[in-house]
Amino acid sequence: MYDFHNIALTPAETLLLNAAILSVIVFALLKAERRLDENSGWIMLALLAVFAFAGRILFEPLPNIQPVTLIVLLAGIYLGSPRAFALAGVVALSTNVLVLGHGPWTLFQVIGWGAVGCSGALLADRLLIEGELQLNRVAALAFVSGFTFNWIVSSSILLKTDPAMLAPYLLNGLLFDLYHAVGNLVFAAWMAAPIGDMLLRHSIAPTSETVSEIVTN
Amino acid sequence: MSDKLRTASILVLVALVLLAPAIRDAISEESVIYVNDSESAHDGLPSEWNDEQVICVLFPDDFPHSIYSSGVTMIDADGSAIGVNENYNVTGACVGGFSGYSDGMEFMLDATRVAGGHLAVGYEVGDWGPYVHTIGGLNDAEVTGDFSGAYWELHHNGEMSWLGIGDVILSEGDVILWRIGTW
Repeated sequence: MYDFHNIALTPAETLLLNAAILSVIVFALLKAERRLDENSGWIMLALLAVFAFAGRILFEPLPNIQPVTLIVLLAGIYLGSPRAFALAGVVALSTNVLVLGHGPWTLFQVIGWGAVGCSGALLADRLLIEGELQLNRVAALAFVSGFTFNWIVSSSILLKTDPAMLAPYLLNGLLFDLYHAVGNLVFAAWMAAPIGDMLLRHSIAPTSETVSEIVTN
Repeated sequence: MSDKLRTASILVLVALVLLAPAIRDAISEESVIYVNDSESAHDGLPSEWNDEQVICVLFPDDFPHSIYSSGVTMIDADGSAIGVNENYNVTGACVGGFSGYSDGMEFMLDATRVAGGHLAVGYEVGDWGPYVHTIGGLNDAEVTGDFSGAYWELHHNGEMSWLGIGDVILSEGDVILWRIGTW
């Protein structure tokens, strides 16, 4: 019997395959978005979740390079903290349970990405000025977010180990932090503007309102 | 503006990929300051090995080594047996009396060779350096029990090592220890 599923792909081939699949998804999402009514904010949130889910899984062969952090950051800027947090939770849980492995770290990933989304919401006034996304600032925040997210997730070792172990642990993760930060920078440079345009057409609530919601909470 | 950013982002990515090996080496060297003092790691080892480099391999109760199954056998760098420490609650072997090694993997391979094949090391080299799966005939995949899985766990001067054996940098008197860890 011809066993098609038994083809062993090299990592480079896997990455190429995944990039092709991701392109199909992006293309389909862009098509789908054009048919949406204005202000279909909830559908946009779902589309972002699908894109982040696919992106995280398909970029898995690359160490720590994936588009989730940037997408959550943009969701925070355009849609506000609560929705960005919900997005963070859905993406972390679904990718971990279905593919990458679920455990206590999932909670820390949700908190980490949620924090990234909140930072976007809090700084929205400076990142999105009169409907214009300030790309350089977003790219800078995305870069920093790589470290923020990784360090929040790394702090989960405190549940099991001595606090003195945190410093060497973080030091040894530095290269992976850099991969994440630089990956975010690349995604911000290439994807933030088109995704931002889409989100602008469908933002659910004025960002300032969402920020004050969080503050009073 | 965005074109500049796009070009810059790709350049930064390429730079990171090119610099990654150098960054890893720099991190390994910095990590040395977090490695414990080797003094207490010498407790129970022959006193002539004080200030010398030592490697120990401990085997789980349910999966003892075919020869080193009672106490911990002490083997000198020239291959001669110094004795057996029965006071440990564990079984296995230590090979000691080395100096001058800084590369963890090189030390491990040289030192275990002294035991004449009884501590032979099996490993695979992946993207992140060597992964040790077998020592002295015990493959971590064969270790089963009331846990999800087992692996050879690396300790450096009595503390679990954050680095793999391929990245560990040794000082004089350092003690490397392998034992089965589970998750």
